[in-house]
Amino acid sequence: MSRLGKWITQNRVYRSIYRNSYPTDDRNRVLVILNSLALHLHPTRVPKRATDVSYTWGLGGLSIFMFVILTITGIFLMFYYIPSVDQAYWSIVELERNVTMGSFMRNLHRWAAHAMVIFVFLHMTRVFYTGSYKPPREFNWVVGVALLVLTFLLSFTGYLLPWDQLAYWAITVGANIAKSTPFIGKQVEFALLGGYEIAQPTLIRWYTLHVIFLPMALIVVVSFHFWRVRKDGNISTPVYEDEEDEVEPISRTQAG
Amino acid sequence: MEMKEPLRPLRKGAPRARSAAAVAAVERREERVHTWPHLVSVELMAALIFLVLLSLMSVVVKAPLGSLANPEVTPDPAKAPWYFLGLQELLLHMNPSLAGVIVPTVVLVGLAALPYIDRRRKGTGIWFSGPKGKAITAFAAFYTAVWELALIFLDEWLPVPGSEARGVAPYLEYLLRPLDLPPVVIDVLGGWLVPIFFMTFIPFSLAVIVRRHWKADTREVAIALYTFFVASFVVLTIIGTAFRGYGMQLMWPWEIGRPIGF
Ligand code: HEM
Repeated sequence: MSRLGKWITQNRVYRSIYRNSYPTDDRNRVLVILNSLALHLHPTRVPKRATDVSYTWGLGGLSIFMFVILTITGIFLMFYYIPSVDQAYWSIVELERNVTMGSFMRNLHRWAAHAMVIFVFLHMTRVFYTGSYKPPREFNWVVGVALLVLTFLLSFTGYLLPWDQLAYWAITVGANIAKSTPFIGKQVEFALLGGYEIAQPTLIRWYTLHVIFLPMALIVVVSFHFWRVRKDGNISTPVYEDEEDEVEPISRTQAG
Repeated sequence: MEMKEPLRPLRKGAPRARSAAAVAAVERREERVHTWPHLVSVELMAALIFLVLLSLMSVVVKAPLGSLANPEVTPDPAKAPWYFLGLQELLLHMNPSLAGVIVPTVVLVGLAALPYIDRRRKGTGIWFSGPKGKAITAFAAFYTAVWELALIFLDEWLPVPGSEARGVAPYLEYLLRPLDLPPVVIDVLGGWLVPIFFMTFIPFSLAVIVRRHWKADTREVAIALYTFFVASFVVLTIIGTAFRGYGMQLMWPWEIGRPIGF
C-alpha cells in the first residue's frame, strides 16, 4: 500500500471507524460483509448464479436504488416546494428557473420515479418466471405485492403535487374511478380528496402521504422483504425434482 | 400431539441430476462465491450505470409541467399517468366500477394468492421452469395480444346500422331494440356481462388450450395466466398511451399532438 494509503488507514481514528483491512483475502472478504451495516444484508457467500446478471437482472437491487435516488432528490425538492394550492405551481416554476440544479433534481426525481415503477414490475416478473414464489418463499411474494401497491401509490400521490393541468386532471380521472367503487364509492372519494372536490385539503393530504407516510411504510415493508429473502434461504436455486422429504435442519440452510 | 415440521428451504447442494454433463452443469451453477467482490461489484456497476443514464436523461429531457391547474378547462384527452392507462383503456369498454375497481382488485388478490395455489417446489429457480414453459409464455402472449387488439378494434369501429354510434354496447342496444327491454338491462349487458364474459373467456380458453396441447401442470397453467396478465398490461398500456388522442379516439401516435387545454 502506498505511503499515503497507510497514513490514512493506520491510525486510531480510521481504525475506530473501520476495523478490517482491505478485503483481499478470504477472511477479510467475510468480515467486510459482516461488519458493514449496508453490506450485512447479504450473506457472506452467495451461489454463483446470484451474481449472474441473467438470473435476477439485478432488478430488486435497482428498485431499491431508485428509491434511494428518489429520497435524496425528494428531500432536495422539499426545501423549495410549498404545498399550497396558491403557491405549489409557482414554487415549481421558481425551482426550475432560479434554483441551482433545481431543474436537474426535479427531472431526476421524475425519471427515477418512472424507472422505479418499471423495475419493480420487471422484478416481480423475473420472480414469477423463475418460479421463485414457490415454497418457502410464498409469503415474501405476498409482501412483494404490497410493495408493488406502495410503489404505485407513491408515484401517483407525487403526480398531483405540481398542481398543473396534467396533475389536476389525472387526479380527476383517478377520483372518478374511486367514486365508482361499489357501495362505498362516495366515502372512498371523500377520503381521497379530503372533501367533495380537489382543493387544498386534497393537496395537503396527498403531500403528507407522499413525503412521509408512504415512504416510511415502504421502508418498513422493504426491510421485512430483505430480511425474509435471507430467512427463506437466500436467492432461489434450482429444484429439478420434487424433494419434499429431503429437508435439512433449519440452522444449516439459513446460516448463509 | 406431534408438531408438523415447518416447511424449510431445500437442500443447497447439487440436486439429483443424472447425466455427468448435467451434474457438472449443476455444480458450476451452484458453486458458491464470496459476496465481496463477486456480488458487490455487480451491484455497484448496475447502480453506477443507471445513475449515469438517468442523470444524462435528466439533463436532456425535461419533466413535463403543464399550465396552472384550472378546474374550468378540461384538457382533451385527460389522461392518468402511464401505468394507469391500461385501466383507463378498460374504462372505455365497460362500467367504471368494473374497470377501475373490481378488475384491479381481482388482479391483486389473484397475484397474492398465486403461491398458495401453485405449491410444488419443482421448477423453482429455473427460467420458465424449462423449455415447455418458454413455449407456453410465447403462445400466451400472442394469444392475449390478438384477442385484445381484436376486441379493442371491434369496440371502436363496429358500425351500428342507422346511427352514428360505433361499438359493441350500442350494437347490442340496436339488436335488442325490438324486444323493448328496460334500459338497465341493456346497460348491465353492455357494461357488465359482455366484458365479464370476455375477461373470463380469454384466460379460461387459454388454460384449456395449454392443458390440452402441452399437458400443462399447475405451474405451467400459472405461467399462461401470468403471461395473460402481463401481456394485457402491456397491450392496454401501449394503446392507452400512444394510440389514444382527442376524444380518446384510436389514432396513430403522430396524429395525437398536444392535448387541448394544457
Ligand atoms: C419496492 C419494491 C421491491 C424491492 C426494493 C425489492 C427488492 C428485492 C431484492 C433486492 C431481492 C433480492 C433478489 C433480487 O434482486 O431479485 C428481492 C427478492 C424477492 N422479491 Fe422483491 N422487491 C420489491 C418488490 C417485489 C414484488 C412486487 C414482488 C412480487 C410480487 C417481490 C417478490 C420477491 C421474491 C419472492 C423474492 C425472492 C426471490 C428469489 O429468492 O429468487 N418483490 N426483492
